[in-house]
Amino acid sequence: MDVNMTYATQDIWTWWLAIYLYFGGLGAATLAVTFLTDMYLKPHRHLVIWGAGAGVVLLALGSLMLFGHLLDKTAVLNVLNPMILFRKPDAWIAWGTQFIIWMMVWGVLYALPYVRETDFPRKVPGLRNLIDRPFVVTIGTLVQRFHYTVGWLAVINGVGVAVYTGLLLQSFPAVALWHNPAVPLLFTVSAFSTAMAFLLLLMYTLINDQADEYIRVLYERIDLVLIAAELVILFSLYQYLKNGSESGVRSLELLWNDYGWLIGFIGFGLIVPFVLELKGVIKGWATRVPIITASILVLTGGYLLRYYFMYAGVYAYPW
Amino acid sequence: MPHFAMVIDLNTCVGCNACMAACAMENQAPVWDKDKWRTYVHDKEIGLGSDVNRRFFPRLCNHCDNPPCMSVCPTGATQKKANGIVFVDQELCMGCRACAMACPYHARVAITSDDMREGREFYGSDYRRTSPSMDKCSFCDHRVEQGIKPACVETCVGSARMFGDLDDPNDPVAQMVASGAARALMPHIGTRPNVYYIDDIKWRG
Repeated sequence: MDVNMTYATQDIWTWWLAIYLYFGGLGAATLAVTFLTDMYLKPHRHLVIWGAGAGVVLLALGSLMLFGHLLDKTAVLNVLNPMILFRKPDAWIAWGTQFIIWMMVWGVLYALPYVRETDFPRKVPGLRNLIDRPFVVTIGTLVQRFHYTVGWLAVINGVGVAVYTGLLLQSFPAVALWHNPAVPLLFTVSAFSTAMAFLLLLMYTLINDQADEYIRVLYERIDLVLIAAELVILFSLYQYLKNGSESGVRSLELLWNDYGWLIGFIGFGLIVPFVLELKGVIKGWATRVPIITASILVLTGGYLLRYYFMYAGVYAYPW
Repeated sequence: MPHFAMVIDLNTCVGCNACMAACAMENQAPVWDKDKWRTYVHDKEIGLGSDVNRRFFPRLCNHCDNPPCMSVCPTGATQKKANGIVFVDQELCMGCRACAMACPYHARVAITSDDMREGREFYGSDYRRTSPSMDKCSFCDHRVEQGIKPACVETCVGSARMFGDLDDPNDPVAQMVASGAARALMPHIGTRPNVYYIDDIKWRG
C-alpha cells in the first residue's frame, strides 16, 4: 500500500502562524532578558518598560493573528480558563495560552512601579488617572516588596512562551521537519537571539546611554553564542533530515534548494551577523552601524526561520 | 465494550463514490467543497506503459488509539469514546486547526461560518450544526449506537468497506486484521489506527 505515496505541504498554518510564533518568541524572550537584567545586573527603568511593552504588544499582536483565524471565536473562552491545564495537560496550545496570559499579567505588574516613575504615561490621558488610583498605588507598593517573586513569575512564563512555540510544532508527528527534538531547542535559541538583537537595536538607538556599555557588550557576547548554537542545531537538523524518512528528505530539499532559506536566513540572518558581532566582540567597531545592521539581520532571520519552517513541512500520504 | 474498526478492501473498491455521497448526506457535509467531505476516494493510476492499474483509495479518519489530533486539541473538543470512536464536540471546538496539522491521514476539515450559511440553505430546517468547528468522520456513531452500520459501509456496492469489532474473535473484521491480510496505514508514526486496508497491487498482474 505504500507503493504510491503522495507528498504534500500544508496551507493550514502559513505566514500568519509564523508571525504568531515569531512575535511570541521575540516578545517573551525580550521580557525575560530585560527583567533578569533589571534584577541581577543593573536596575534599569527604560529596559524594563521596553521589555514589558514588547512582551505585551508583540504577544497581543501575535495572539491576534491566531485569534483572527479561529473558526469559533467565542469558544476561545474554553482555553483562557486556567483550569484547562488540568483537563488538557497534553495540549501545548493550552500551556502556551496560559504562559502568554500570565507572562503579560506578571510583566505589567513588574513594570508598574517603573511606569509610575516615568513622565510619559502621565501625559497620556486616561493612563495618568489610572496609575494614580489608590488600588494601583497599593499594587505598585506590593510589587516593590515582592520585586524578585513577581520578576521571576514573569520570566518563567516568558521562557515558557519561547519554548512552547517550538513544542507546538514538535507535537505534529506526521512531519519529520517538525517532529524532532531540535525544533523546541532551535526556536528557543532563536527567540533569545532575536531578543538580544532587538535590545541591542534599542540600546544603540532609542535608549542609547554610555553607562549601559557593559550591558551592550554582554548582550553582544550572548547573541554571538546563541547564533553559534543556532548554526550547530541547524547543522544537526540537516544531518537528521538528509537520511531517514522521505518526509524529512523532501523538507530538506525544499529548504536547502531555496535561496530565501539558504542565503536569506542562514547567510544574512545568521552568518553575516555572526561575523559582524564576532569582530565587535574581539576588536570592537568604530561606529554602532555594524551592530545595528547585525541586529536588523538577526530580527529578519528570526521571522524567515519560522516562515520557511511552516511552508517546508511535508506530509506523506499513502494514496 | 466493543472496539470498533473498519477494513477497506482495495481489491473490491470500484470508485463509485457512493460512500462519499452517503456519508455527506448522513452527516450533512459541505458538499459544495470536495475538500471538506468526511471521506474521500482517491483515484490514481499506478504502473508504467500498458501495465497500469487504476486504484481507488478511500480515506477517512482512522480513529486512532493514540490520536495526535486529540492530544494537541487545546480545548478538549476532540475526544475518544470507550468503543474507540474519536469524535469532535463542536461546542468546545474553537477551530484553531491544530488537529488538522497533527493528523497524518488528512482527515480533518474546517467547517466555517460560510459553510454553515450554505448548509442551512442546502439542508434546510434539518441542518443540525450549531457552530463552526473542525469536523471529521465519527464512524457514524449515532447509527452505530443503534446497532446500524456506518452509512459508507451500508452503501458500499462492492463490500469494500467492512465495519466490525476487534474485540470479537468471531467478527470477520477482527479476523482479517488478526491474520495480517488487513494492515494499518503508516503504523510507524505510532498513532495505532483502527482503519485497515487490504492491499490490491500484489494480487494483480
